[in-house]
Amino acid sequence: MAWIAKNSAGATIERRSEPYLTPVLKAKLEADVLPRYPTKRAALLPVLHAVQHEHHWLPAQALEEIAAFLDLAPSQVLDTASFYEEFWLNPKGKYLIMVCQSLSCELMGQTGLLGKISRKLGIAPGQTTPDGKYTLMTAECLGSCGSAPCALVNEVLHENIHADNFERILDTLE
Amino acid sequence: MPLAQPVLCKRIPTYPWGDPKDRQYVGYDQFTATGGYVGLTKALAMAPKAVIDLVKEAELRGRGGAGFPAGLKWSFLPPEDGQRRYLAVNADESEPGTFKDRLLIDFDPHLLLEGIAIAMHACRLDTAYIYIRGEYHAQAKTLQRAIDEAYAHKIFGEGSRLGQINALWPNCYVHRGAGAYICGEETGLLESLEGKRGWPRIKPPFPAVAGAFARPTIINNVETLAMVGPLLDQGPTWFKSLGKGRPDGVPASVPASFGPKLYGISGHVNRPGVYEENLGIKLSTLIEDHAAGMLKGKKFKAAIPGGISMGVLGPDEYHAELDFDIGRKHNCLGLGTAGVIVMDQDTDMVAVARNIARFFAHESCGQCTPCREGTGWMYKVLTRVEAGGGTLDDLDLLLEVSASMGAMPGTTICGLADGANWAVRTIVNKFWPEFEARVAQTRSNRVSLAVVGATH
Repeated sequence: MAWIAKNSAGATIERRSEPYLTPVLKAKLEADVLPRYPTKRAALLPVLHAVQHEHHWLPAQALEEIAAFLDLAPSQVLDTASFYEEFWLNPKGKYLIMVCQSLSCELMGQTGLLGKISRKLGIAPGQTTPDGKYTLMTAECLGSCGSAPCALVNEVLHENIHADNFERILDTLE
Repeated sequence: MPLAQPVLCKRIPTYPWGDPKDRQYVGYDQFTATGGYVGLTKALAMAPKAVIDLVKEAELRGRGGAGFPAGLKWSFLPPEDGQRRYLAVNADESEPGTFKDRLLIDFDPHLLLEGIAIAMHACRLDTAYIYIRGEYHAQAKTLQRAIDEAYAHKIFGEGSRLGQINALWPNCYVHRGAGAYICGEETGLLESLEGKRGWPRIKPPFPAVAGAFARPTIINNVETLAMVGPLLDQGPTWFKSLGKGRPDGVPASVPASFGPKLYGISGHVNRPGVYEENLGIKLSTLIEDHAAGMLKGKKFKAAIPGGISMGVLGPDEYHAELDFDIGRKHNCLGLGTAGVIVMDQDTDMVAVARNIARFFAHESCGQCTPCREGTGWMYKVLTRVEAGGGTLDDLDLLLEVSASMGAMPGTTICGLADGANWAVRTIVNKFWPEFEARVAQTRSNRVSLAVVGATH
């Protein structure tokens, strides 16, 4: 939910000396992404995507570095990043399993599927396994209603996933 | 009359013309070898304004949900002032039940790029951003592959066949969203494109005057633009021979439903998928002929005509014609995206309403109080009704809340809450006995505004 206020007052930022937005990544973004837009701020979503792609999530220090890179206030970067569900402001598992729960998927048996995956992994939706391997989430419509139920595992969409064949999506993961 | 030849699915095998198993990516060479970019060639031989007039004459209506005439939208742009103007392509397909744009992007992305190039020429737009939803990872890569081919063949970039526009060589970029339904609302999309949260803007100013980066901007859906190439190639007379025209005697000022349309069908049917048909096809035909009938031979109970925000059709509306007039004729919001969700006799309509209310409660951007609170409370009330703890008061309350939030009652900036309230209202009204049977037959002394009609 995009509009839930997230209390960050008093939060301390963990810092490391090595930057998240590396000089190599900066150079790539400056060459490929920034020229596409008339303002630097417009590059924010692509830059957030790029940094998250490298580090798997967006630590607060990374948001500060992105703010400096795009001449924005860190609060502006946080404002945008916290709005979108795909941007992770907390660590997530190596494999993010998003099970679609919208209407076509629910009609075709998503509820049973989610329960089975949840029991198999031993976590409820919204949680990550203690070994940091899997994070289970529910998602709203993934645009695959004709092959419902469906689930997105990291960047790969799995279609026609049923309670009796769901293990195949886990078998493909290391 | 069924569509004789596929138009948008010309290169995408689809029943009854081909087998979806044979679908594969159509690259630049195969696209041009099968009549692709002919529409662009014809458009480039015409003055920009003549292209807009042609699209206007064809009465091509937007395929993204609202059905607004595309040519008219294009003609709203102010005169050129030498500064930049943008095209924002809405590929944020997020409405539950909708998966048609994905088909075009997966298999025939050049059809979209051709439409983009024509729109840029006609409207004098120098830069196009294809705003694609974040979850479409594979589709974003496919689009980029097609765009790279288009640059290599001088559709876009330096030396483009379009020539310079606003003193710039035309560019086309993919811009990925990040998981927010509201970014499919056109001004939410623009905010997101500018690197902000996807909060819809108060209009006016309309995007044609001050859109992306406060410059004139056209926003079109993927399918609308994909239709522009074939339209330029074969002309308005051909286009208007397809779909459903105006009945005799109806003045030309009344918009009709010309042309073919992609219908996505999902839910309790044997062969779900995307089909191309003339606008005006009957729901029963789509289910029986295209989708090979109801799953397990069960009886039809209800269907969503075009994405969950459009409301619901009941058992007696099985033969409803799926065109832009459906809202007026069948008491729903409209055709929407033509993403049809079919439900069989065993479907629990209370659960359906709860699912839909949860979607909107989850996706409300939170800007307007009636929507943020209203969708959340509708979800809570429906959850209680589903669990068996509801009363008649709850049903009154649902109708009252749904009648008082949205852009139509005038209490919100955008139409998200209208989608939520039409869905809930039509389901509760059309399946009232089912809801009534689920709740305790008690009413407090509280008088609902919905019952006395004060909010209508």
